[in-house]
Amino acid sequence: MALLELMDVSKNFGGLKAVSDVSFPVCEGEIVGLIGPNGAGKTTLFNVITSMFPPTAGRVQFRGEDIGGLRPHAVTRMGISRTFQNIRLFPRMTAEENVMVGRHARTRSGIWGSVFRTKAQRTEERLIRDKTGELLALAGLSGQEEHPAGKLSYGHQRRLEIARALAAEPGLLLLDEPVAGMNESETGEMHRLIRKIRDLGVTVLLIEHDMSLVMSVCDRLVVLNFGRKIAEGTPGEVRNNPEVVEAYLGKEEDGQDA
Amino acid sequence: MLFEWLNPYYLQIASFILINVILGVSIYVTLATGQLSLGNAGFMSIGAYTSALLTTAHGFPMAAGIVLGSLLAGVAGVLVGIPALRLRGVYLAIATLGFGEVVRVVFINWESLTGGAVGIAAIPQMGREILATLRNAGFSPESLGLRSNQFISLTVFLLLLAITSAVIFFFLRLSSSRVGRAYSAIRMDEAAGEATGIDTTYYKVLAFSQGALLSGFAGALYAHATSYISPADFTYHRAVEILVFAVFGGSEHLLGPVFGAMFLTVVPEVLRFVSDYRHILYGTLLVLMMVFRPQGVIDPSLVKRLAGRNPAKEI
Repeated sequence: MALLELMDVSKNFGGLKAVSDVSFPVCEGEIVGLIGPNGAGKTTLFNVITSMFPPTAGRVQFRGEDIGGLRPHAVTRMGISRTFQNIRLFPRMTAEENVMVGRHARTRSGIWGSVFRTKAQRTEERLIRDKTGELLALAGLSGQEEHPAGKLSYGHQRRLEIARALAAEPGLLLLDEPVAGMNESETGEMHRLIRKIRDLGVTVLLIEHDMSLVMSVCDRLVVLNFGRKIAEGTPGEVRNNPEVVEAYLGKEEDGQDA
Repeated sequence: MLFEWLNPYYLQIASFILINVILGVSIYVTLATGQLSLGNAGFMSIGAYTSALLTTAHGFPMAAGIVLGSLLAGVAGVLVGIPALRLRGVYLAIATLGFGEVVRVVFINWESLTGGAVGIAAIPQMGREILATLRNAGFSPESLGLRSNQFISLTVFLLLLAITSAVIFFFLRLSSSRVGRAYSAIRMDEAAGEATGIDTTYYKVLAFSQGALLSGFAGALYAHATSYISPADFTYHRAVEILVFAVFGGSEHLLGPVFGAMFLTVVPEVLRFVSDYRHILYGTLLVLMMVFRPQGVIDPSLVKRLAGRNPAKEI
C-alpha cells in the first residue's frame, strides 16, 4: 500500500482549474520529485495534501486513511509535515524555540503541567530539548540555538524550517523548493540532508526547479503542467519524455527553424 | 502610633495599581496570540456585577462571589471568542469594543437587577470583612498599633499583592512552556503554526477566554475593594486605558503591561500638583513613546539583558 495516495484530485479557484484529476502514489521510503513549469499547480497540490484547503474533487489518503475534512494541524499529527516556498519561520523566536514549537504535535503538556511544572511536564520539556538539539545538529545548525530565526542566513533558515518540520516526526515530509536561490555548495549540502532524512525512514515529496538536484536525488518524478499530470517515472524516463521536453522548452515545429 | 506613616489613601492607590496590573495581564494574554481585544472592560464589569449581586442580594460569601464572577466572565469570553475567530486586527478590536459597550448598556437599563446608572452600593469590602472576622476571633488591630482604617487598607493591599503576584507567576510560567510557545507561534504566523501541528482554534479561544476570565477576576476584586460600582466604571475609557498599559509598557513580554499598569496608575497621582496640565503631559508621554520606542518600554531583549546577570534563566 502506498504511503500517500492521490486519487483524481482537482482544485478550482473560481473558474481557474489549478489542479485537474491528478493521481499518483508516494511509497514508503521514496524520494519523489514534483516538477513542472511555474503555475503548474505544484504548491496548490501541497496545500491540498496538507489540508490547507480542501480539494474540489478527488481524495487524498495517507496510510490508507482519508485526510479530507481534517484541519492542517490534524494532518501534521497524522504524520505529514511541510516547509513553505517562501520560508515561514517564527522570526522573533530563536532557532531552538522554532524547533521546540515543531514538537507540539508530539507532546501533551497543558496549562496545569506548565504552571505547576509537574514531573511529567519537566520530563517532557527535557525530551523536547534533547530532540531539538538532535535535529539542529542534523540540519547543521549546532551553535545557532540562541540566534533569532529571522536573523539567520537564508540557507540556514531553509534548513531550520526542515528541522522544525521533522520535529513533528513525520512519515512524509513535503519540501517546497528547498534549494531555491541557493548556490552550488549550499545545494550540495541540501542534497546530503535530504538523503539523510530519507535514511532516517522519512519519505520525501519535493517540489524543485533545480533539475540537477531533482535528477540526482529523486527516485521518481511526477510532472505537472497546467494542473494536469503529464508524466511520471524515473528521472531517466522523464528526461526523455517528449511531452515533458515540450512543457519545459516549447514545441519544435516541423520544417521550421527550431 | 507605630504605623502613623501608613496612609490609607496611598494604600488605596497601591491597591488600584495591583488591580490594573491584573487588567494589564488580561489584555496581554489575549494579545499573546495576536488577538487585540478591547472587550476587557466589558468582561471586567461582568465579574464585578456578578460578584456584587451575589454577595449583596443573595448572601453569597465573598470568595464564592469572586470565583463565580470570574468564571462567568470566562464563559462570556468563550462565547465571544468563538465568533471572534473570524475577525482579525482592527476589526476584532472594534467588535470587542462594541461588545463592551453592549454589556454596559445592558447594566444601565436592567434597573431591576443592577440599579441602573446608580450602580450597586454597600458591596462587602474585603478589608472590613477580614477585620470583622478577626475581631470575632478576639483580635484587635490596635494591638499592632494600627487604626481600623489603616488595618483595612493594609489588608486589602497585602491580599491583592499576593493575588497579583500569583497571577504574574502563573502567566510567566505559562509563557515559558508548550502552551506559551503555541501562543507566540500563532501570533507570529498563524498559518505556519497550524501547519506545525498547533490547533490554532483551540489556543486562540483559550487565550481569549483566559483574558476574559482575568478581566472578570479583576472586576470582582475591584468591586470588593471599593464597595461601590456603577456602569461608569466600565466605559470604553477603561478599555482604552487597559490597551494603553500594553502599548506603553510593551506587548511582547508579560512584564510590559505589568510595568505599564504600574507606571500609568502612579503618574496621574504624582502629577496631581499640576492637575490642570495632567492630560497634556500624559498625552505627550505617549506620543514620545510611539516615536522613540514603539514596541513599549519593556521588550523581550530588555528582559533578557536584565535577567542576563541571573544564571537561572527561566522562572
